[in-house]
Amino acid sequence: MNSLDPRVNRLPEIGNPQNIQDKEQLDQFGTFEVFVQPKEGKPFQHEGALHAPNLEMAYILAKETFTRRFTCTSLYVVDTRNVYVSPITERDQNAYDLVENVSDQSKEKRSFEIYHLLKRGKQHVHVGSVKASTPQEAMSVAKNQLNAGKVFNIWSVASNDIRFTSDEEKELWLTLPEKKFRDAADYKGGEKLSSFLERRIKESNV
Amino acid sequence: MYGGGNTFEGIKTDHLKQEDPILLAAFEARIERGEKIEPADWMPDLYRKQLIRMIEQHAHSEIIGALPEGTWITRAPGFKRKLALMAKVQDEVGHAQLLYSAAETLGKSREQMIDDLITGKSKYSNIFNYPTFTWADCCFISWLVDAGAIVNQLANAKGSYGPYCRALERICAEESFHLKYGHHCVIYLAAGTQKQRDMFQEAINRWWAPMMHFFGPADKISAHTEVLMKWKVKMSTNDDTRNQFLDMYVPKIWELGFTIPDSNLKKNTETNRWEYTEPDWEEFKKVINGDGPCNKERLEVRRIAEERGKWVREALLTKAMKYVMPLA
Repeated sequence: MNSLDPRVNRLPEIGNPQNIQDKEQLDQFGTFEVFVQPKEGKPFQHEGALHAPNLEMAYILAKETFTRRFTCTSLYVVDTRNVYVSPITERDQNAYDLVENVSDQSKEKRSFEIYHLLKRGKQHVHVGSVKASTPQEAMSVAKNQLNAGKVFNIWSVASNDIRFTSDEEKELWLTLPEKKFRDAADYKGGEKLSSFLERRIKESNV
Repeated sequence: MYGGGNTFEGIKTDHLKQEDPILLAAFEARIERGEKIEPADWMPDLYRKQLIRMIEQHAHSEIIGALPEGTWITRAPGFKRKLALMAKVQDEVGHAQLLYSAAETLGKSREQMIDDLITGKSKYSNIFNYPTFTWADCCFISWLVDAGAIVNQLANAKGSYGPYCRALERICAEESFHLKYGHHCVIYLAAGTQKQRDMFQEAINRWWAPMMHFFGPADKISAHTEVLMKWKVKMSTNDDTRNQFLDMYVPKIWELGFTIPDSNLKKNTETNRWEYTEPDWEEFKKVINGDGPCNKERLEVRRIAEERGKWVREALLTKAMKYVMPLA
């Protein structure tokens, strides 16, 4: 292959587009949901999803994908299958109205994290933790403890299933504000431009 | 950020008639109220298909769009430019990840999308089938192709599908430095030596036609287009976005003392719209269908990356993990 890019020229010839064969199917990696805390004291919010072979890799990939650019103080990930989701509601109906009261005394209580969607098109935001035996029960407990009305959708996740950021790992983001080359404010061309324009006017007057 | 979503023709079949009229009315009423659609909501088949196609093409454009600039990282003039270009290219690839996730919430798996890119079944923005001969070509992309994409993406961010809007909001915020960086590079070329100025002028001459193609041919206003605009999938016509781009950037190009290779290009002060020589849409079609200067290279680079990463993915696969659709 003859390319402008020396690296491409070193690549092996694999085929030409006319007779490209389908690549072999591979079972895909798992899916994980990513939550970010933008500033100390602010709640965690859902930032998006990614695919990874395990929880630990998901954490590493989440750091690259979601916390490269904006201030971040903490991050966590959870397997999508471990997120228990309420129905999404219409108009002004509160999603908690659809949550049944569940009480389960059979198992030991553990901690669950609860998230609310307060506006369609926005992100799910962490609103607090509750103690319960099952994610269903956690939602029912949250109905009494965290229900502020007008919630479109609720997620509940067992805290044990989450890969949190440890205190030591928070150092990961300390250098973010130093990376000025990713900041629009670092590319001020105004002076160079105006001196160039002045020079052009002078030249054209000569 | 390279939104090429408006560049390609939509799906032709008329799915609208088969939909449940009650569900459809509720769906349309929600959009009418300005509410976003979330993945768990009912949506018409045509809405789902068109969005998958649009978001997927957008994602592919980010991946392929990183290639012509990526080849210049090692040759960018100076440490600062290298650092910035590397960060920009990394952003573009990151944007593809966000967009693939948004498309996945509509039911197409990521692997299927990557397969369709490699086999040529899915398209990406046509402009990346052209080569970056010089540093100035790379600057043209950073400044003006990004600018064009931002015009598209800001419009699409006001669309109706929640996950796509969330991805675009993040993308647009991250892009703010790309445009400033691109303009900065071009100002330095413009204010530099005659050789540098010539270099950028030549880049404009090479890239102007693909840039005009970038926004796609004039829309045939059909019932289909109307319905997609009503559903806030397509946010403005191709001609309108092209006009908006010209409005914002032609004066900036002229300010730097460069010329644009179209003697008919001028703003009609009565209609407030730009007049220009009609782009060569035969050339556009030819390139988009595979016969462009770099189509082969772009796909081959992707394919080789896929081949070479295969053993890593295989080694990391575990039975315990299962692919599921992302939540939002």
